[in-house]
Amino acid sequence: MTKRKGARVNRAGAAPYLFLAPAMVLFTLFLALPIGYTIYLSLRRVQVSGLGLGRGSRREVFAGLDNYAAAVADAELWAGWLRVLGYGAMVLAVMLGLALLFALMLDTAHVRLARFTRIAIFLPYAVPGVAATLLWGFLYLPSLSPFQGVLEAFGGEANLLGAGTVVYSMANVAVWGGVGFNMLVLYTTLRAVPREYYEAARIDGASELQIALRVKIPILIPAIILTTVFSIIATIQVFTEPTALRPITNTISSTWSPLMKVYRDAFVIGDVYAAAATSIVIAAIALVLSFGFLRVVKNHAFGEG
Amino acid sequence: MSIGVLPARTAARHARARGGALRGAVPTGILLLGAIYCLFPVSWVLIAATKTPGELFSTATLDIGSGLWSNIADLLAYRDGVFLLWLLNTFLYAGVGAALSAAVSATAGYALAKYRFPGRNLAFNLLIGGILVPAVVLAVPQYLLLSRAGLADTYWSVLLPQILSPYGIYLARIYTTAAVPNSLLEAARIDGAGHWRIFSRVALPLMVPGLVTIFLFQFVAIWNNFLLPFIMLGDDRAFPLTVGLYTLLAAGANQPSLFNLILTGAMLSIIPLVALFLTMQRYWRTDLSSGAVKS
Amino acid sequence: MRTRRFSAVAATLLTAVLAAGCGGSGSDAPESAPSSAPAAEGPVKLTYWTWVPNMDKIVAVWNNANPDIQVTVSKQAGGDDASAKFLTAAKAGNPPDLVQAEYQHLPSFVAADAVADLSQLVGDAKGEFSEGLWNLVTLGTDAVYGIPQDSGPMMLYYRADLFKKYGIEVPKTWDEYAEAARTVRKKDPKVYLGTFSSKDPGSFAGLAQQAGAQWWSISGESWKVAVNDAATLKVADYWGGLVKEGVIDDMPYFTPEWNKALNDGTLLTWPSAVWGPGVLDANAPKGKGKWAIAPLPQWNAGENVSGFWGGSSTAVAAGSKHKEQAAKFATWLNTDPEALALLVKEGAIYPASTKGQGVLTEAPAYFSGQPDFWQKANEIAGTARGFTFGPNVNVTYNAFKDAFDKAVQNKSSFADAVTAMQDATIADMRKSGFQLAQ
Repeated sequence: MTKRKGARVNRAGAAPYLFLAPAMVLFTLFLALPIGYTIYLSLRRVQVSGLGLGRGSRREVFAGLDNYAAAVADAELWAGWLRVLGYGAMVLAVMLGLALLFALMLDTAHVRLARFTRIAIFLPYAVPGVAATLLWGFLYLPSLSPFQGVLEAFGGEANLLGAGTVVYSMANVAVWGGVGFNMLVLYTTLRAVPREYYEAARIDGASELQIALRVKIPILIPAIILTTVFSIIATIQVFTEPTALRPITNTISSTWSPLMKVYRDAFVIGDVYAAAATSIVIAAIALVLSFGFLRVVKNHAFGEG
Repeated sequence: MSIGVLPARTAARHARARGGALRGAVPTGILLLGAIYCLFPVSWVLIAATKTPGELFSTATLDIGSGLWSNIADLLAYRDGVFLLWLLNTFLYAGVGAALSAAVSATAGYALAKYRFPGRNLAFNLLIGGILVPAVVLAVPQYLLLSRAGLADTYWSVLLPQILSPYGIYLARIYTTAAVPNSLLEAARIDGAGHWRIFSRVALPLMVPGLVTIFLFQFVAIWNNFLLPFIMLGDDRAFPLTVGLYTLLAAGANQPSLFNLILTGAMLSIIPLVALFLTMQRYWRTDLSSGAVKS
Repeated sequence: MRTRRFSAVAATLLTAVLAAGCGGSGSDAPESAPSSAPAAEGPVKLTYWTWVPNMDKIVAVWNNANPDIQVTVSKQAGGDDASAKFLTAAKAGNPPDLVQAEYQHLPSFVAADAVADLSQLVGDAKGEFSEGLWNLVTLGTDAVYGIPQDSGPMMLYYRADLFKKYGIEVPKTWDEYAEAARTVRKKDPKVYLGTFSSKDPGSFAGLAQQAGAQWWSISGESWKVAVNDAATLKVADYWGGLVKEGVIDDMPYFTPEWNKALNDGTLLTWPSAVWGPGVLDANAPKGKGKWAIAPLPQWNAGENVSGFWGGSSTAVAAGSKHKEQAAKFATWLNTDPEALALLVKEGAIYPASTKGQGVLTEAPAYFSGQPDFWQKANEIAGTARGFTFGPNVNVTYNAFKDAFDKAVQNKSSFADAVTAMQDATIADMRKSGFQLAQ
C-alpha cells in the first residue's frame, strides 16, 4: 500500500504541471499582467501644464500612494460599501436559498416536469443585458408596470423605483438573473452522486425530506461553500443591476456601488489612475472577505480525504 | 437474498409508487412557482417584440402587439442584414470560446483534484482569485496588451481573454473529485496506462456532465458579455450581438433608439441559447459511475 | 521549491512586460504625417467611426468619386461610451482615421492628444460655418480640431392641439411658461406642461447658454470655471421652484415612461433641439401631426436667443497615418452640397454648415401641421449662442446627474446642485494640476 502511494507521487512528475499549463499561461497573460499593469497605474497620476490642450501638455508622473489615500478617504466609496453589503446579504440569502431549494427539488425521485422547470429557471440568465433597462423599465415604472394596480391596492403611491424600494427592486433583478446559474451548479454536483447512495437510506424508510436534509445537503456542502464565496465576490462587484436601472430613476447615483465608482472614474471621467487604485482596494477587501470565509469553513471546502 | 425478502421489497416498491404521485406534487409545485417567477419577465420580452414602435409605448405592457413579423423583417434588413452577421459572430465567439474553456478547465480541474504536488494550493488560489478582479478593471489593460501584440480589433482579441474561466476550473475540480473514483485511476495505472491515457480514457468520460455544465455556462457568459468586445472591437461587422444591439440602443444623443429592433433582437438571441440548453439536457439524465463503484 | 521557482518566473515575466509597457505608454504620439505621401501601392484606406445612420450610403458616393481614397464606415454606439472607446483606442495606438466627436468631448480629445490639428489642411472651411460653431472646434485657439457636422439649436416643441384644448397660448417668456404650467395642472391633475430631466446635462447646458452662461473661459494660461454663474443659477432656481411647486414633472427624458407620456398627451411640451423630430417620430408616433415648434421662451420679453444641445464634428485622429486624405474627406463630408443633401436626407441631421441649412425645405412628415418647420428652425438656429467647453466636461456632466438626481428626489435647491457641479469641476482640475484663475 505505502509503496504504491509513494510510487504514485514519484511517477506524477511533470504531469500535473503539464495539465495545468494552459490555464496558467492564460492566467499570466490575461489576468496577472493586466493586474500588474493596474497596480502600476494606481501609482501614477496625470500632471497638466498650461491649458492642458495640445501636445506635450500632459505628463504621467509618479504619485506614490496618493491615489490609495484618496480612495480610502473617499466617503462615497465607504457609503457604497455599506449599501452593497446590505444589498448583498439580502441577495445572497434569497438567491442561494432558492437555488438550493430548486436543486434539491429537481433531484427528488418523483418530481415531474423537471426538464421544463429546469430550463425555465435557467432562462433569465440567457436574457441579454442590453434589454435589461427596457425590461425592468416596463415592469417597474409606475405608468407602465403591470403590478401597479396591485401595489396601489396595498396602499398609496407605491413606486417600485422610489428611494425606499429601489434596493428591493434591484435585489429582485439580481436574484431573478442568478438563481438559475447557482441552481445548476448545485444540481450538477448532486447528479454526480450515484443513486445507490440513497438506496440504503430509502430501505431504512427515510422520507425524501429526510434524505434531502441528512444525506444530500452534507454532500452539497463543498459546492454550497464555494458557490457562496463566488456569490460574495459577485455581489461585492455589483454593477449591472444598478447601472441598468439608473437611467430610469433618480434614486441611484453614479457611485452607488464601489465598482460603479471605478467604472465612472475609468470610463466617464477619464481618471484611470484613481480607478486603478480603487479597484485594487476593492479586490483586497474581496480577497480578505472571501478567503476569511474559506478559512472558517476550511475543512469542509473540498470534501476530499 | 432469500425469497422471503422479495415480496416485502416489491410491496415497498408498490407503496412507493402509490405515494409517489402525491410526493411528487410538492417538488413539482415548488419548481413550477419558480418557473413562473423566472419566465414572467422573459415572456414580457416576447410580448414586447411583437409590438410595432407605435404600439410599444401606447398599449398596456402585457398586450400582444401586431408587429412581430414586421419587426423581424426590419431587424434583418437593418444595415443589409448585419444582425445575422452579429449572430454568427456570437456563435463563433461563444462556441469556440466555451469549447476551449471546457478543455482548459478539464485538464486544470483534473490536475488539481487528482494529483498532490507542490504549488497545488497556490495554483488553485491564484486561478480562483482571478474572479476577484472584475472585467471592468481588466478590460482596458487587456486591450492595451493585445494592441501591443497587434491583435486588437480581431476575432482573437475577443476569444483569447475569455478562455480562462475560474468558475469552470472550480467546477471541474469539485466535479472530478465527486465523480471520478481514485480506485479507477489506480486500476488503470496498475494496467500500465500513462497519465494522458488515464485522463482521456478513464477520467474524461466520467467528467462529461460537469464539462457540459462548464461549456454551457461559459457559452452563455461569452454570449452575453458586453464590455470586453465593446472595448476590443472597432469594426462593427465583427461585433457580437451584445455590442451590436447596444449600438441600436445608444444611438447617439441626437438619434432615436430603435426600441423595437432591440427587443426583437434580444428575443431572437435567447432562442439559440434555449436550443443549446435543450440539447445539453441529456447529459444530466444519467448517473454514470454506479457500476464502477461497486467493483 | 517548485512553488518558489514558479513565483520567481512569474515575477520576472511580469517585470519584463511591464518595463516594455511603461516604455511604450510614455512615448510621444507619432509626428505629424509628412504631407502628401506619394500614392504608392493602391488606394489610401481610411476608417471612420460614426453613429450617424446610413453613413455608408453617403460614403459610397465619395468612394465612387475618389478611387484613390477609400473610406470604410464602422457604426458605433453613440454617447459617452463612444468617446471613452475612442480615447482608449488612441492610447493604444490604433485609433480610426476619422471619428465623430461631439462638441463637448472635443476638448478632452485635444487634452489627450488624440485628435490632430487640421489648421494647415482645411483651408477656407471656416467661412462655411457660423462663428459660434467654428469656435466649438477651435476652442478659441489658432488650431482647428475638427469640422463641424451638425448642431442642435434649441427650441420649444409643443402639442398644438392640446394647447388649444387647455386654452394656453404659446409662452413667449419663461414667466408665461410657469403660468401655463400652473394652468394645466389645475385643469387636469394627470397632465404636466413639461418635465425636468436630471439625466440630460446637455439640455441644461443649452438652457444655461440661452440665459447667457459661460461655464469655462480661458485667460492666458489659466482656466476660469464658472458653472455656478448668475445666469446658470437663475435657470436652476427657476426649474427648481417649478418642480418643488409640483407643476413640472421630474421624469427623465428618453425613458419608456417619458415615451408613454408623449404618446398619451400627459406631457405637453419638450424644450429640445432641432433633432427632435426623429426622436418624436420613433417614440411617439401617436402624436404625428399634432406637435409644432416655437422659439424657446425668453428671459426678457422681446429678446430672441437660444442655446445648443448636442451636435458633433468630424475629427481626424492624431495617430492617423493619412491625415491629409482624412481631412480632405472630412471637409467634403461637411461642406460639399451633395454630401450635405445626403446627410440631411439619409442621416437625418441638421447640418452645421450654413449652406446646408438651406437644403432643408419640406417639413418632416411628423410635423405635417407646420409646413414652415424648417424656416422657423433656421431662424431659431441663427439666434443660438453656445459657450466654450472646458477640458473636463465629463466630470461636470456626471456631477450634474448625481447632484440633480438628489435635488429632484428631495425637491431641494437646484442652485445647490449647480454649486456641487462647480465644486466637482474645480476639484478635478486642481487634482490634475490645472492653473485656475478663480
